[in-house]
Amino acid sequence: MTSTIRNRVLSPAELDAFGNDIDAVRARTVATLGQRDVDYIRAVASAVRWIGLSGRLLLMVGAIGGAFLPALLWPLCIAGTLLLALSKILENMELGHNVMHGQFDWTGDPQLNGQAYEWDIAGTSDNWRKTHNHKHHTWTNVRGMDDDIGYGLLRLFPEQRWKPFHLFQPLIAVVFALLFEWGIAIQDLRLGRWVAGKMRLAELREQFRPVGRKMGRQVLRDYVLWPLLAGPFFLPVLLGNVVANVLRNLWTYTVIFCGHFTADAETFPRESVRNESRGQWYLRQLRGSSNLTGGRLMNLMTGNLSHQIEHHFFPDIPANRYASMAVEVREICARHGQHYNTGSMPVQFGQVVWRILRHALPSRPRAALPAMQASA
Amino acid sequence: MTPRPRPARRLVRGFVRGVAEVMAPPQALGFWADRLLPGANAGRAKVLERRRESADAVTLVLQPGRGWGGCQPGQHVSIGAELDGRRVRRSYSPTGIPRADGRIAITVKRVAGGKLSGFLCDDAPVGTWLDIGPAFGEMTLPAQPDAPLLFLAAGSGITPLMAMARALAARGMPVPLTLLYWARRRDELCFVDELRALARDVPGFNVRFLLTGEAASVTDEGEGRIHAAQLVSFVPDLAERRVMACGPNEFVEAARVLTASQALAFVSEAFTAPRITDDIDTTGSVQVTLARSARVLTLPRGASLLEALEAAGVTPPSGCRMGICNTCACGKRAGSTRHLHTGALEHEPVTALRLCVNRASSDLILEL
Repeated sequence: MTSTIRNRVLSPAELDAFGNDIDAVRARTVATLGQRDVDYIRAVASAVRWIGLSGRLLLMVGAIGGAFLPALLWPLCIAGTLLLALSKILENMELGHNVMHGQFDWTGDPQLNGQAYEWDIAGTSDNWRKTHNHKHHTWTNVRGMDDDIGYGLLRLFPEQRWKPFHLFQPLIAVVFALLFEWGIAIQDLRLGRWVAGKMRLAELREQFRPVGRKMGRQVLRDYVLWPLLAGPFFLPVLLGNVVANVLRNLWTYTVIFCGHFTADAETFPRESVRNESRGQWYLRQLRGSSNLTGGRLMNLMTGNLSHQIEHHFFPDIPANRYASMAVEVREICARHGQHYNTGSMPVQFGQVVWRILRHALPSRPRAALPAMQASA
Repeated sequence: MTPRPRPARRLVRGFVRGVAEVMAPPQALGFWADRLLPGANAGRAKVLERRRESADAVTLVLQPGRGWGGCQPGQHVSIGAELDGRRVRRSYSPTGIPRADGRIAITVKRVAGGKLSGFLCDDAPVGTWLDIGPAFGEMTLPAQPDAPLLFLAAGSGITPLMAMARALAARGMPVPLTLLYWARRRDELCFVDELRALARDVPGFNVRFLLTGEAASVTDEGEGRIHAAQLVSFVPDLAERRVMACGPNEFVEAARVLTASQALAFVSEAFTAPRITDDIDTTGSVQVTLARSARVLTLPRGASLLEALEAAGVTPPSGCRMGICNTCACGKRAGSTRHLHTGALEHEPVTALRLCVNRASSDLILEL
């Protein structure tokens, strides 16, 4: 499966025009932010809380009631687990991720403050704001600068150096998916540096302290306190919570991998970001990102990462606007001769799986095409 | 007044809070607390009563949430509401305090084009929840007043002085008090009936209403902006009085010039409608106050705030330096900024100002 994409090579003047067109979409949207955006995110927050509470209560009733009336056990526990997983997915994707980008800072609502939000996942929000908001969003798909390319674990692009370790990556990728939240939690610790002797143990321990506290709290919440509430019938609650967290991990992994690792997604060398203009930056975001087709349900469940391209253009604009912005963005890309990478989830994720399998074996990049014309 | 919790109860509360904090993330707890215990949030206040005070002013009686710190007569609180999705906050001086039930009253005068004052005057029905901040302000009454007082009020500068006048009247006016109160027109004056009743019933209290845009027609009215002859005729014993002045900047400055050197003491508080700041001018410098580290810096207006701060030796956390990652965002309490990409001016206080893509348009107070 190789890409047949041909993007028009843009001159510096054309790049500026491209950047201005995207900036104009941004300005038009920002000018109309208001009550309906706040109402929307509050409705999402409300859904997250109510669905989460009902999931936990159903699990509880299923576990305790099921001990006396076995017919209740499975249906209630399955329903409770699915609702809890749904709540966690919505919280992580549409609520937490978007709020933590500062998309709703303009409201002045302390509950929607991007720098204060702490999400329901093993990793700390502080680390996420650093690895994701700053590194990944600024240096998207730039090799050696964006740690999200394979998360330091997987080889997904031929430009990454092959090591025998990568032969195991089809298996490692599955384990990573199941434990995705824990992988994200320790991403910023960069254990590899410690293994390679580039970081002292004391330094690692210092960095681990807030991460460990957050992990401990999550374990205590989902695997100790809530199960304990069911007393001797704790086991179904515990298992339900484990399954809900794993379902959330699998879904977020799938969505996120579809965002930057599809067949047509490109990576970039470090040199490409030197003196990058705004137009070049937009172009790099476009070529490194891929969207998912699907309706409003897909947008909601992916936290609007189904509009990964728009999210990378406008990470600080409320995500509920991406769908309408996408119409204009797509038209602008067509007008400037740029490929707009989108497809259904099965197709896009199939391409990701292919990359995981293909690049487990040694591979070589094809002759590089110029991404953009050298600036005059 | 709630009884002080006994140690055992405090222990139980602490335990419940600790368990709750593990069982749900902070924003989830906030969500449920808003619904189950709306009165327990010290940052919120409920509108209990509203009554029209003059042609363009209303008084709102508010019940702040439990734990709100209270307010002295003469102090201010910041009151906010959500307007088209955005929190807008303004300072008001509560009147009619202290009250045994912990409530406060604020009198809101409609400002032309004012977002919050318009909302509070026309909408904000009884039952609305507003934002409320802790009380602030240095102009308060001494515990034991020792000299006659002179209050000089202009426009909505009346509110802190009214709060102190009421507090003194409630204590039987321990020292003589004269209030001179300026407004453009008669129907812009607040508390007129109440002030006249006080002047009639409370010995030692005098009031004069001074109109700058209408002719005086009653004996307790006068005319014209603040000037020396006026003061001599209304306050012959100025030298023995402590002066408290409140109003727009120019008024307070005029009052200072006229009275500060002659009176026993002079304290004042000035306010001004948001200054419309330069649009094009990027030269010169502004004063930037870093509230958390208690530093005042003089920074150039032309550079992004992040660059200007770094050049001054302050290094706030920063990331992308292009307005994307939100790492450098910090709160802005006061002042105007201009966005470097969009050119948009922002006069309101904001919770997250991106330092890397904004420059100062006026003096600023930042949460740094």
